[in-house]
Amino acid sequence: MITCARVRVLLEAFVDGDLAADDAARVRAHLSTCADCRRQHDQAISLPFRLRALSSPVPGPSLVGDVMQAVGAERGGYRRSWTLLVPEAVLAAFILWYLSGLDGLSSIASGVFGDLLSLGSGSLPHVPPVDVLLLVALIALVVVAAFHLSILVRLASPRPAHE
Amino acid sequence: MHAHVATDAQLMTELPGSKALAAGQLAHRATGGDLDAFEELIRRLQRRVYGFAFQHLRDAHEAYDLTQEIFVKLYRNLGRYDSERPFEPWFWKMATNTTINYRRKRVPLPSEPAEEAADPDARMQPHDPTLVEALAQLDPSYRVPVLLHYYADLSLEQVAAALSLSVPAVKSRLHRARGVLRNSLADAEELGRP
Repeated sequence: MITCARVRVLLEAFVDGDLAADDAARVRAHLSTCADCRRQHDQAISLPFRLRALSSPVPGPSLVGDVMQAVGAERGGYRRSWTLLVPEAVLAAFILWYLSGLDGLSSIASGVFGDLLSLGSGSLPHVPPVDVLLLVALIALVVVAAFHLSILVRLASPRPAHE
Repeated sequence: MHAHVATDAQLMTELPGSKALAAGQLAHRATGGDLDAFEELIRRLQRRVYGFAFQHLRDAHEAYDLTQEIFVKLYRNLGRYDSERPFEPWFWKMATNTTINYRRKRVPLPSEPAEEAADPDARMQPHDPTLVEALAQLDPSYRVPVLLHYYADLSLEQVAAALSLSVPAVKSRLHRARGVLRNSLADAEELGRP
């Protein structure tokens, strides 16, 4: 014998045909004798139709325009973010020019390296401090620019996500 | 308004000078920077997305705001869409996550009309207010699957994908939700009886 409370817990699964055959048979037998549960059963049958028929207001006509405006602003912002690289490139070019290009750069680097090696023998480095400073600034600029570039590239071409 | 039946194949339209395109194709075009395709895509989705947001939030302004947020997020994430896969489950997964994470930004005034952000020509009273009220009282973890399945017309498999649940878990939530709604409707009927 199945109780009304138990039948009401099972009604939705019964309506959807998701109950095991013996449970479904018990519910069916109970419904044939219980008017209250039959009323609940009728509600359970009509509810999906009522849910599908729910109405909502339609959005205002400005919605599409507002979205496109927001998207346009994002695109503009993204394009502008590439301009971050311009001052970095200009500064790097200026430093390279001051240090006489890549030749100057390599001679400074080899000079610093040689000085570091000769530190143990007691002689002092003779590379001008401004050159070393610029070299460090150049390395820092390259690192920052590479970081910016990696962010921009990642934003430009995200990998497809398999969800 | 009856819920729209909306599979990818049915979400077809005419773009000027082109043949009918499915939503997934439009999304693919939009990924390549075609803003007309993106606009067409949101034109097609806007009623269902706004309706879903409205049924979830019961506030026209908030629903408008959330709908905008969902579409902007769609644009940002277009690059993640794999055009080999169906568009609808992917889109609704993103829309559901945005809805779940959405924080209400305003407190509606009691005297404020409920549907200012809606199209004034289409303002309406809910034709099933008891059900609408009962749905609003439902816990979001039950309300969202109900809206996705019965309102946005997603299949059980699509709802499961959108909510990262198994199909039996979705069925169980729908059964439970409908049971709660049925009890609320029965209580409301009792109260309404003379």
